[in-house]
Amino acid sequence: MSKAKAGILQGTLDMLILKALFPGPLHGYGIGQRIAQISGDELKIEEGSLYPGLYRLERRGWIESEWDVSANNQRAKFYKLTRSGRKQLIIEEQNWERLATATMKALRAN
Amino acid sequence: MSRVKDTVNFIHAWQHPEEIADEVDAELRFHVQMRTNANIEKGMAPHEAQLAARESFGDFDQIKASCCEIKRGFPFDSKRVRMGFYIAIACLAGGVALVAVNLPHHNLFGILWQLVAIAVLMRAFLIGRRKQ
Repeated sequence: MSKAKAGILQGTLDMLILKALFPGPLHGYGIGQRIAQISGDELKIEEGSLYPGLYRLERRGWIESEWDVSANNQRAKFYKLTRSGRKQLIIEEQNWERLATATMKALRAN
Repeated sequence: MSRVKDTVNFIHAWQHPEEIADEVDAELRFHVQMRTNANIEKGMAPHEAQLAARESFGDFDQIKASCCEIKRGFPFDSKRVRMGFYIAIACLAGGVALVAVNLPHHNLFGILWQLVAIAVLMRAFLIGRRKQ
């Protein structure tokens, strides 16, 4: 299967970012790495989509950020899920599952 | 995030665009640095690793501009809230103009008040204009 390097829909990107942040705070680079890791290296989020996506989610109040020191002793901006972000992740996951099930049903129809 | 906090952040971002640009710049540079470190760990020479990191990042300035734009953008998605904001600005501008016109113009106090009113009106105009 070819890697989905581009063409990820905005809603899907939002959900992936929220999912990547579910276990705990991460900086932007870490979020990209986490998404690659949890998708088995099938999804690579372009930086040109990732960072505007993070700023949009912060604006909506689903994530919040603060500057801290990273593992390699550099200042980095860490993002974490807010309470409304956690709720939104559940909604996005349910919507996605419904859509995927419906699409599979349609594809398997004779 | 509460609407009050949104509004405060919006005004702060609008008043200090250079702070927002510096913050975004530092964040994106950190990303490029991390990618460079990862490339070096994979066995690339430092210079080559940095070049590859910058290339894979894409158009740094464009990404930075997009992030700054979102950060400085209008904080409310709802049309009703947006309309309320415009009405509040219009009421403020109208009230200030009314006060400025009706103040006595023959003493220093009156002139100072008029200058304050002009400054408030200009600011309201700039905030309203920025939304376009």
